Amino acid sequence: MRMFIKIIYRYGICILVTALMCCLGLTHGIGILSAEEKCDLSKGACMKTVGDSEVTLDISPKPVKAMESLIFSVHVKGVNTGDNLVLELAMPGMYMGDNHVLLKKAGESRYSGEGVIPRCHSGKTLWSATVDLPGKGQVEFPFDVLY
Amino acid sequence: MSSIDSVYVLMFMTGLMGGFGHCIGMCGPAVAAYSISVGERRTIAYILYSLGRITTYSILGGIIGLTGSFLGITKSIEKLQSAAIALIGSTMIFMGIGILGWRAYFSRPGKAASKSYLTSLIIKSMRTISETGGLGVYFPMGLVLGFIPCGLLYTSLIAAAGAGAAAGSRVEGLLRGAAMLMLFGLGTTPALFLVGRLSSIMSVKFRGRLYRLAGGLMIITGAIYISRLF
Repeated sequence: MRMFIKIIYRYGICILVTALMCCLGLTHGIGILSAEEKCDLSKGACMKTVGDSEVTLDISPKPVKAMESLIFSVHVKGVNTGDNLVLELAMPGMYMGDNHVLLKKAGESRYSGEGVIPRCHSGKTLWSATVDLPGKGQVEFPFDVLY
Repeated sequence: MSSIDSVYVLMFMTGLMGGFGHCIGMCGPAVAAYSISVGERRTIAYILYSLGRITTYSILGGIIGLTGSFLGITKSIEKLQSAAIALIGSTMIFMGIGILGWRAYFSRPGKAASKSYLTSLIIKSMRTISETGGLGVYFPMGLVLGFIPCGLLYTSLIAAAGAGAAAGSRVEGLLRGAAMLMLFGLGTTPALFLVGRLSSIMSVKFRGRLYRLAGGLMIITGAIYISRLF
């Protein structure tokens, strides 16, 4: 029984430390930004490469605000994609549930869909939009949101 | 498994994963505090609190599923959410005051009688709230806490709006939305229950100090909730 309580203590401390790290934002944004990724989606469209393909993402209206209806537009070059793409909205370092935006074909290599970014009361403003390219991989665009 | 069934599984999993990855950080201190403070009947208190929260989630999910509109509904309940934050924040502060034994003022004989009816009513309510041994406070507390704005809850409500918009009829949308949010709420319960149990196990050894710590935590958490209004 004593051993069981000791194990519970240890795991409990791990869980509490993880929760504290989430609260303090110590895991916030780890592994997301690099020098070439500092394009600002709140000012204009951003382009990234995955293999030999180019993916451009734009969000409107600007500035990008939470709890507003947003249009996500994606332009893909150099890869054959289907009728739909899926864009996933997430907050680095904080699990916010699965928030998928279905992007429907809106022209040659162009896709568009409507989504909402929920307000996070932790005050963190960094979000990421990840475009899933079947057979090619995923492209992640970090951006700041106004609350 | 049909796509509708998989949505329900996904909602439960969202609650379960979010419970450990999100709710522990955001609501853990409050749950830990009341688990320590409630005494021997903590399991019943937790069930009542969870039932209250799941009831609110289901109602919100049902309304959003019925209308198929996430933004329309969330904008219309903003004032209600602010009231919920104020109510739950002040409740937690008064519970904390009760735990720390600062409620002597509210219990002083004859003090309430000399004030106006409204003041007396407020003091009486504060005294009731600060009597944390009563289980009656936990279901309404859960009901109110369900309205607290939360990013993870919003994501689930967005999914309910999508399901409602895709439903064949409004009644189907209402039922789908309510069921999705009920499963989401159920999914969040194990993580918070674990926090509560851990706090209880630890409180056996350090009851006196942790009991006072719980009171302090409740006052701080209540103050944080109220600070969100500004």
